Amino acid sequence: MLDEKIIEEAKQLILQQNKEEAAKLTQKVISEGTDPLELLKEGFIPGINHVGDLFGRGQLFLPELIKAAATMKTVTDIVNEAIADDSEKQQSQTTVLIATVKGDVHDIGKAIVVSLMRANGFVVHDLGRDVETDKIIEEAQNVNADIIGTSALLTTTMPRQKEIEEALKSAGLRDRFKTIVGGAPVTPRWAARIGADAYAEDAQDGVLKVKELLAQS
Amino acid sequence: MEKIFTRFGDGTPTEMSESELRADLEAGTEDAADRGKIPPLTEDELNHLFDIFSSPYKFISVEPGQEIVLTYDGAHVKIRRHGLNVERIQGLQIYEKVMGADTLELCHVDYSFKPIKPIVTFEQPVMEQALLTTHAPMFYGAMPNLGLYSQPDGPFPNPAELMPAGKIEEAQASHELAVKEAVRDIVFVGSCMIECGADGINIDSTGAAGDADFLAALLATQQLKEKYPHTCVEIGMAGEFILGMHAGLEFEGTRLAGLYPHDQVKLVEKAGGTIYGPVVNTNTTESTPWNVARVVTFTKAVGEVAKIPIHPNMGMGVGAVPTCDHPPIDTVSRASKAMVEICRLDGL
Amino acid sequence: MALAHAHASGMGGMRTSGDLVARMQMSRGMKIKEAKEYVANKLSLSVTEIADPVIMTEVRQDLKLGVISPQAGDALGIEAKCRIAEVLDIDINCVNRFKNKAGI
Repeated sequence: MLDEKIIEEAKQLILQQNKEEAAKLTQKVISEGTDPLELLKEGFIPGINHVGDLFGRGQLFLPELIKAAATMKTVTDIVNEAIADDSEKQQSQTTVLIATVKGDVHDIGKAIVVSLMRANGFVVHDLGRDVETDKIIEEAQNVNADIIGTSALLTTTMPRQKEIEEALKSAGLRDRFKTIVGGAPVTPRWAARIGADAYAEDAQDGVLKVKELLAQS
Repeated sequence: MEKIFTRFGDGTPTEMSESELRADLEAGTEDAADRGKIPPLTEDELNHLFDIFSSPYKFISVEPGQEIVLTYDGAHVKIRRHGLNVERIQGLQIYEKVMGADTLELCHVDYSFKPIKPIVTFEQPVMEQALLTTHAPMFYGAMPNLGLYSQPDGPFPNPAELMPAGKIEEAQASHELAVKEAVRDIVFVGSCMIECGADGINIDSTGAAGDADFLAALLATQQLKEKYPHTCVEIGMAGEFILGMHAGLEFEGTRLAGLYPHDQVKLVEKAGGTIYGPVVNTNTTESTPWNVARVVTFTKAVGEVAKIPIHPNMGMGVGAVPTCDHPPIDTVSRASKAMVEICRLDGL
Repeated sequence: MALAHAHASGMGGMRTSGDLVARMQMSRGMKIKEAKEYVANKLSLSVTEIADPVIMTEVRQDLKLGVISPQAGDALGIEAKCRIAEVLDIDINCVNRFKNKAGI
């Protein structure tokens, strides 16, 4: 059982984006024989969630989010190295494939989603913008993605998200991946209508939806 | 009382009890107060919103005498989007004569200043001709759209790729270069349209690409007002707070990242802007009463400090208007009435 | 949606004096109350009357400010805007340009 002070320190180090001190703390916990996963789950992950919340409120900004994400990656790598149980490692390496759909060249919001997902320890494959439906599905198979997340900023490009759902069904792959849809005109109603597994209101919600979908599977 | 009909932020119909309605109104105003660090709505104001939402009528309106003026961004483009083969000046005439628009806006379908630059001399005669045949004041509108200044659409490295790769300084440098180019384009196109007779320039969806986008709009406004002191420059926003994509940019000593509407308006005034159009995003997973209470709380705070006219954006997905293709009249009219009656608005 | 706003809270454009009130906001930066009072004063009407389509259609026709359904001889487009500039005592950019070009 970790001391409450250490847990709080871990949260603060993520908020302060202090990579070096966060690494030292993680190594100290490991060398003392305490469970590093507890440090991750009770300290660093709530810390990065708080970072996401502050970002969503306009109280913390993209460069700070990137630095916090880098700090998170450093400690996650150290913890993964230290834990013996492969199933735990597997769980911490959720793979998300992200793309802006064909015909849509907007990538600013997607960059935020990618950053926040990486900060939460997910392996993110960003295919960029204006990506063909076939390529999204092909790459999802290549990287063995758990989740396919797509963004559409325009009402005119939203139908591509429906196309992805239909293409997955036609290829017999619909049950292999969970799908999340997002973007300014995208709504929960649209997600339900096309048969997506989840709708994400914003980047932080996207992280929550990934976690919820993983918990269900 | 029977259940009260309302909708979610994506337009999905739902019903609420009186206590659920009151709880959502309170939660909506508290969310805005918490985020914006502004006062929540008073008990009287919440009661007024409660009356608006519990009205059994499909359509409701402000009381006579409280009407405000309406500006429409990209108006005629929306007619074309419905599949009607109407050219731009006809579209403006339809807005003026059929819809009773108080102001008009000519724009190009590619609603950004950068792509207008090489074709501005084709846009000018359209503006001149439109001005001969219409009556209401005419804006020329477009977005700063700083996304168009980075690769592959523009000359500078793409911050949306650099940032997630951890190249923070390079991304910030790219934003700064884009600001300079965008200001030049906005001032160039704006000047051309003013010199062929436009009544105003609408710099719309400002901040869509973050703090650099907002800075470009403010600097361009400053320059346009120096050149043409009597011209109207409206700055319309893209979202409720300024996204800190660069995070270090300032205007006249104020950091832009994270500013909410009641602080944004002060900078628009400093830049010489004539009209400010705040935006508060609609949350699609919450109810319309929750969204309206939230939007009214943010916008009321703007109305209390604004010295210039404010025209909040109440289109699809903002201003508590549901995110759906045809926002229903029951919801739009309630949001419209609530905003005008509580927020000291000058227009929409 | 635009129609819902127009009916719920809009002044009504040329049906009333919405375009004139908007001009005062745009040219002088007036807030809505001041802008309405200014227009009402210039038209010798009350603030309520300038939002009434029946009264304003007659006033606009008489003063040649442009109407929704013009009859033969009514002021149209730039003609009406020349009158609007005079009645409201403001500069209208395109009116000034029109007069310069036409040598008026």
